[in-house]
Amino acid sequence: MASTSSTATDSVEQLVTTWMVSGRDEEVIAAVAGTLGVSEGRLLGVVKALGTYLTSEQDDLRTKGVDFLATVIARCPEKTLNRQSVKVLTAFFCDKLDDTETIVPALKGLASLPPICSDSDALVMINAVFAHVKMRALVQSVRFHVFTIIDGLIANHRETLKGMKKDFIVPYINLAEGEKDPRNLLVAFAIARVILIEFDPTDHIEALSNIVFCYFPITFRPPPNDPYGITADDLRNALRRCLNAHPGFGPIAVPIFLEKLAAGSPAIKRDTLQSMTECFPVYGPAFLRTSARKLWNAIKLEIFQPTDSLTEQVALATMQALVVTIHADDAQDEDVQGLARDACEECIGILREPEKSQAKPAIKVLCAFMATTPSVSRYTLAHAVPHLLKLYADPNEVPSRHPVLLLLSDLIAAARDSIKAESTPEPMSDSAPEPPLAPFKDEVLGALISGVATLATTRAALAGLTGLVSTPHLLSEAELGFVVLKVNDVLETCYNGDEERSDDTNAILKLLMTISATSPAHVRDQTLPLLLRSLPASAPPRDAVSARARYQHVLTALSTLSSPPPTLRDARGGSQSDPELPAAYLHALLAALKRALADKVDEGHADVAGYADSLVPALYGLCVRAALRGGPASDPRVVGVVGDIIGLVVQSLAPPRQQQFAAVLFPAFLTGNITALCSAEHVSADDRFLPFSAEATSSERNLLALFEAGLIPLHPSVTIDADINACTESILVQGLAHSDNDRQAEAVFRIVGSIVNKHVDELGSFLEHKQTVYWSEQIFESTSAPEWRRQAIRVWTWICKGLLVRNHTLALEFIHRLFDVFGDETIGTDAAKAFGDIAASDSVLTKRNSAVVKFLWAQKFANGILPRLMSGAKDDSSEYTLFSLTCDRALTVCLPVDSALQHANLIALTALIKAIPNAAYAHEMTQLMPLLMRALHIPDAQIRANVIETLLAAAAQHKSTHDVLAEHATGLVRQMLGYTKTKGASATTAITSTRIRISALRYLAVLPTVVRYDVLHPCKADVLRELGEALDDPKRSVRREAVDAREVWFKYTG
Amino acid sequence: MAVEIFNPNPTIFAPVKSSKVSSKTDYLWLADPLEETRSDAEEADSEEPIDQDEIFGTFQLLFASPKLIPIDLIRSIADPEHPNTLEELRVVSAPQITITGNRVHVEFTPTVPHCGMSTLIGLSIRVRLLRALPNRFKIDITLKPGSHQSEMAVNKQLNDKERVAAALENPVLVQTLEQTLANASLRGQPAEE
Repeated sequence: MASTSSTATDSVEQLVTTWMVSGRDEEVIAAVAGTLGVSEGRLLGVVKALGTYLTSEQDDLRTKGVDFLATVIARCPEKTLNRQSVKVLTAFFCDKLDDTETIVPALKGLASLPPICSDSDALVMINAVFAHVKMRALVQSVRFHVFTIIDGLIANHRETLKGMKKDFIVPYINLAEGEKDPRNLLVAFAIARVILIEFDPTDHIEALSNIVFCYFPITFRPPPNDPYGITADDLRNALRRCLNAHPGFGPIAVPIFLEKLAAGSPAIKRDTLQSMTECFPVYGPAFLRTSARKLWNAIKLEIFQPTDSLTEQVALATMQALVVTIHADDAQDEDVQGLARDACEECIGILREPEKSQAKPAIKVLCAFMATTPSVSRYTLAHAVPHLLKLYADPNEVPSRHPVLLLLSDLIAAARDSIKAESTPEPMSDSAPEPPLAPFKDEVLGALISGVATLATTRAALAGLTGLVSTPHLLSEAELGFVVLKVNDVLETCYNGDEERSDDTNAILKLLMTISATSPAHVRDQTLPLLLRSLPASAPPRDAVSARARYQHVLTALSTLSSPPPTLRDARGGSQSDPELPAAYLHALLAALKRALADKVDEGHADVAGYADSLVPALYGLCVRAALRGGPASDPRVVGVVGDIIGLVVQSLAPPRQQQFAAVLFPAFLTGNITALCSAEHVSADDRFLPFSAEATSSERNLLALFEAGLIPLHPSVTIDADINACTESILVQGLAHSDNDRQAEAVFRIVGSIVNKHVDELGSFLEHKQTVYWSEQIFESTSAPEWRRQAIRVWTWICKGLLVRNHTLALEFIHRLFDVFGDETIGTDAAKAFGDIAASDSVLTKRNSAVVKFLWAQKFANGILPRLMSGAKDDSSEYTLFSLTCDRALTVCLPVDSALQHANLIALTALIKAIPNAAYAHEMTQLMPLLMRALHIPDAQIRANVIETLLAAAAQHKSTHDVLAEHATGLVRQMLGYTKTKGASATTAITSTRIRISALRYLAVLPTVVRYDVLHPCKADVLRELGEALDDPKRSVRREAVDAREVWFKYTG
Repeated sequence: MAVEIFNPNPTIFAPVKSSKVSSKTDYLWLADPLEETRSDAEEADSEEPIDQDEIFGTFQLLFASPKLIPIDLIRSIADPEHPNTLEELRVVSAPQITITGNRVHVEFTPTVPHCGMSTLIGLSIRVRLLRALPNRFKIDITLKPGSHQSEMAVNKQLNDKERVAAALENPVLVQTLEQTLANASLRGQPAEE
């Protein structure tokens, strides 16, 4: 035992000596502190080992000795020091404060003692600190120790320090005065707050204000790489907590606040205002009343002549705090005296000229008053509302009725929001609190109703009415009905008038929606019949532009109010010479129905499925009849919107119901058994409808879109046919064999894609056939006609898509086949573009359509295929040999294969990255940039526009690409300038479209924001000159972008 | 504030509704966002010449999108004295702009006859148009007759290209101009949208 202890002492001595010589802190101190943890008495060993160092005559040795002891104390666990040793250590360190050489380490040692020392030690400590420490002589890190000691003492021995009274406060103030370091200030502010709140500082307020207010306002800006990470906001908040710690600061603070408010920058103004907001409640009403006038004048300036809108907001909040504080006592009184009354009268005085610019801030002030105390709120309303109503009624003020109503509607909205804010925190005792506006309800409603009928004031009155109806418990049901009635009149005049009033109608619809949210009956019973009545019975003639615009507006209104209009009434009638007109009218009706249904689906209404029994057969019947006998419903655009409606309804059916539907859908289209699918009023049993047969007319085949619409949403569990392979094959072959336009072919592609996606496991032989026979005969062999091969590529694309979105193993096999025809000169480009179509999201294979869609399938696909496309697109012969191995068959077909292959790869690459989300290729951007720049030269308008849009998205999103961008910036600028011209100077720029010009101009506008000025400085003059030409572009939308781009370049300086 | 304010409390007007929603209200088929037939139509359309609405304000169907975009040049220039636009103060309005051939004439109305900011407003209109119109246009900017006490002097100053060029070499003046033009590209729309 003795031997171990002596070894320990020896080792400690050794360590101490090592440290004295080398000064290597970490391991030595950790070792010593570790030994301290073992048992009692070790500290004695350390002190002994330090022995002579602690009292050495040599200054530096003494410093080092004390420093070692302080560091060890700081490190060792709290429990190892007993009461006695703490007392000794405290006395020792306090003693050392006297010594200029040891004061620094002694403070460091003391800093770790407050939590464990006794109250009497604390007294000794604080007195020693006050007696010996001269803050000005110490550097900031040592001053931090001083503040830490005091902070620790306050935290642990607050009562003792309180007992010292002014013996603590006065010396502390001397100590803290003149502190500048932000880290120390944070501690000092915390100490000051405790002193202000808990130590009775009434006699020392003046002195304390000296160490607090000298810092206001904080203008600290943290240095770069600040190790402590202190922000200006930290300091600001800490200081604010001092400022509002004692009501006695009021008389001192207010003049300072006012002075800073008058002279400061916007940031300082905001800081001052926010500080005031927090301080006012503490300073109390009694004091604030005396300086209310001065404060109001200063704050008013910030509201009426605001430097910016943010400051204005803050100033309004400050004013609210002021009013709330001053009028806290008389919150329930009927009469209001003092500041609020004066301010209110002043604002109302300004409101005598409601059309002037000052009226706006005045009403803002009044609105802010609404959210203060109940009495002020009542007072404000009781004076402002009658005043505005009187102005409105004054015949001399007719021109200013519009602004009057605008101001009134602001006030109504504020009154509404004030009760909302009040009623949320506390549950009201009586269930329906009376809205503050209730006493003036009738007059206000009267003014608004008369205003809404006058053209000039309609919009302002509508805003006011919206505020009124959205105030809970204000208007009765009868009054709501009255509002709806009056608004309906205005709506009617809007539709009947010649002038365009879409803004008014939008506001009216918004108002009606607000009303129908609480009481739907009025809108249902009054507005909807009115709207339906105003729809024309048949399509207006071609030159009746206003009548057409009118029915379109009415339909917009109907679909907004979400009631499916009874579209199918007499739209097929009308013996007009021009068949396009009834078709367009029918299309408009159906589009409105579709919007209303889509809204219902989005809101999750269950009754959409109910339309399967009535609406769907009627729609099928309408279209089939029109296809067979002619009529407006045979127009492909009408068929398109009918398809959308059917899709919406079928999507909402449950799988068993879908199975029933499929059982009538397939026979109708495949074998002509239409009586079960279509309603009887439209078709008869002897109608012959076989869209897949060779004799079918084009308009019959157009209905393949309706087959698609019914088929695509079917759930995977729905059985399609007994022999699904043959069925799919026949749809594909028969459908494409006679198709005479793109719509028909696209419908077939989508049907195949959807079936493949949902029933891949049953389609073994179909896919097998595609992989072997179809691929080689239809696509790979170049003997068939190019258009057939292109169509086959499209089929291939959709099969790939169907497989890929469910991450099926066959997908990549199918997709990789496409590489084999990259070298083909007729369809290589189409095969390459297919990559974009495969990866693009579409409206067919979606969750809504019950397709099997795996998470992040596009990203996975892109990650797998991008490297291959990039290496294929690179201009590098070694890559080429590697690549040619994979497509040796292609090599035999056509010889100049390397450039054609590169070209195809490049096209595939651009198509792909246009289709996938940015994040999927962001990491490759450095290598993609040169490829994209090469792709710009491909003479194809669509590809070029795609590339520019990709570049645009990349520049906006990825900071990492900016270095790459800087490298290519000059070249890009020149190229883009070329693309902005309508008449290309060279062959590469000759291809142009509005889309290319717009995106090129947008890209030019983005470049200055991401590239340093010095890089692009040489181009600036050229860009400005050449954009001058783009300003004269024949297209308005292009000119608009040119104006914006040029503006950016004008402002682009170093 | 140190600077004298010429009109501390001007009248604010509601923004005038844009004169028309393009000329396309007479289309027969409703624009359906799902159909992208518009892109072809856009290409085939004939030229759209620059007119008065383009300078003061109109809306147009954006290329391949059903959304209306505003097109204008000067309505959202800020007033140097107030946080309002020139449109809100009715300093400029659509009927005050005429275009004949390659000549643009813009007339503007100061809010008070002694407005010392008139030259600055005129200059900001000129700079905006210089930057945003092709250089084939000759731009004349004048005060509304009878609206200013030193109308002749201001008109002369605004249309003297030497003096305009000299003004644009003054960095302090250019900075003030940039401030009034900072929001010009908002085109009458609220900033937050």
